[in-house]
Amino acid sequence: MLNPVQIEAIIKGTGYTIIIALVAVLIGIVFGMLVAIGRISKNKLMNRLTWIYVWFFRGTPLLLQLFMIFYAMPLIMKDVFGRPFPMNPLMACFIAFSLNSTAYLAEFFRAGIESIDKGQMEAAKALGMSYNQAMFQIIIPQSFKRLLPSVGNEFIMLIKDTSLASTVAISDLLRTTKTMSSSSGKWIYYVYAAVIYLVLTSIIQLGFEKIEKKVGVYE
Amino acid sequence: MSKSAKKEMIKVVNVHKYFGELEVLKGIDFSVEENEVVCVLGASGSGKSTLLRCLNHLERITSGEVYIDGEIADKRKDNQDLIHIKQEHAQELCMELGMVFQRFNLFPHLTALENVMKAPMLVKKMSQQEAKADALKLLDAVGLGDKANEYPSRLSGGQQQRVAIARALAMKPKIMLFDEPTSALDPELVGEVLEVMKNLAKDGMTMIVVTHEVGFAREVGDRVVFMDAGVICEEGPPSEVIDNPQEERTKAFFSKIL
Repeated sequence: MLNPVQIEAIIKGTGYTIIIALVAVLIGIVFGMLVAIGRISKNKLMNRLTWIYVWFFRGTPLLLQLFMIFYAMPLIMKDVFGRPFPMNPLMACFIAFSLNSTAYLAEFFRAGIESIDKGQMEAAKALGMSYNQAMFQIIIPQSFKRLLPSVGNEFIMLIKDTSLASTVAISDLLRTTKTMSSSSGKWIYYVYAAVIYLVLTSIIQLGFEKIEKKVGVYE
Repeated sequence: MSKSAKKEMIKVVNVHKYFGELEVLKGIDFSVEENEVVCVLGASGSGKSTLLRCLNHLERITSGEVYIDGEIADKRKDNQDLIHIKQEHAQELCMELGMVFQRFNLFPHLTALENVMKAPMLVKKMSQQEAKADALKLLDAVGLGDKANEYPSRLSGGQQQRVAIARALAMKPKIMLFDEPTSALDPELVGEVLEVMKNLAKDGMTMIVVTHEVGFAREVGDRVVFMDAGVICEEGPPSEVIDNPQEERTKAFFSKIL
């Protein structure tokens, strides 16, 4: 079975997994909404910029993005500013995972907002509301219920993708258990990892199902 | 028109509207006086709804002029503005028009009361107490005082449409536009909505009603406008246009539906 040191290491690894996914999903929600609004907006520049953003961060591997932040960015900064630019691995993970989840959530949010009946915007405009008032007070609040499943989905994806953090020397859950397995020669550690991932994702899934019911009281 | 003519609340001059290649309005001239109830009849696709939607900028006209309450609201040619109207001013002019939609378009995430309060608070910066007092009065007036805290999904179509009327009235418009307000309703619910509209007309509201309810047009309308294929084919008092039409197309239409 597990000794106290191993238990502590697994808890710590699980902590990294949770904190990276949590930061990424929270930042992704805020910035994803902004990018989604940019994608919908009639402003050509905003539209183009946000399109490029989504195109890049959805179209390249998350692992590559992580490497670019952790390995390439300090070198680029050094070339530009002429002095070393240290990058903390955890910070690199926060940035890379957040940039990535922003792109995915932005596309989900855009689709969710665009799925709201056009008559809602018309009614708001006919009542004298500005585009922004209609968007933030009428359209986006209605889209929340439709957005929740995609946020839950992204959160679950992020929990699993945090295993990529091991490539920048973070002892996340999977790396911790893998180390234990290879040093002891036992396979059971992978089962522990699987169980913990499943517990985490189950909590998220059930939690979001509950929130969804609460948010939809008006339907 | 005599010199003592009432104020023109809406005036439309030579309005054309294209959707791509399709010309939906082919040179409309049309006006509505204060306190007048004008019913617009015609087959679907004749441009009735588009005409209404061009008045409050839900659609922009391709060319022509639109005046609201004596002020120019739109003057365009080939989809270009010929006069510059400030965004805020255009919005103010549009706010003189209240609109009721075929599919109600109530805000489903807000209660009936909140639906009515929202725009006055947001657009007119009215205080919450004031907006609430107003909204309750309006909901009472449309017979739904007891449904104030219900969400739209809990209301029947007729009730939803009455809330929608109250919501439009909350902005204190000078003119009410009705875009087929009873077309999406089950037959037994049509009466309650028409009743509310009749009361509004009685109170002197200026109204443009796009409708298929010939009975309502005959009873409440001061004037009937019959549209066909993007033009106003015939207009006049209901007794003439509906019961004694002169134009072939008008005759054909009413002989089919009466």
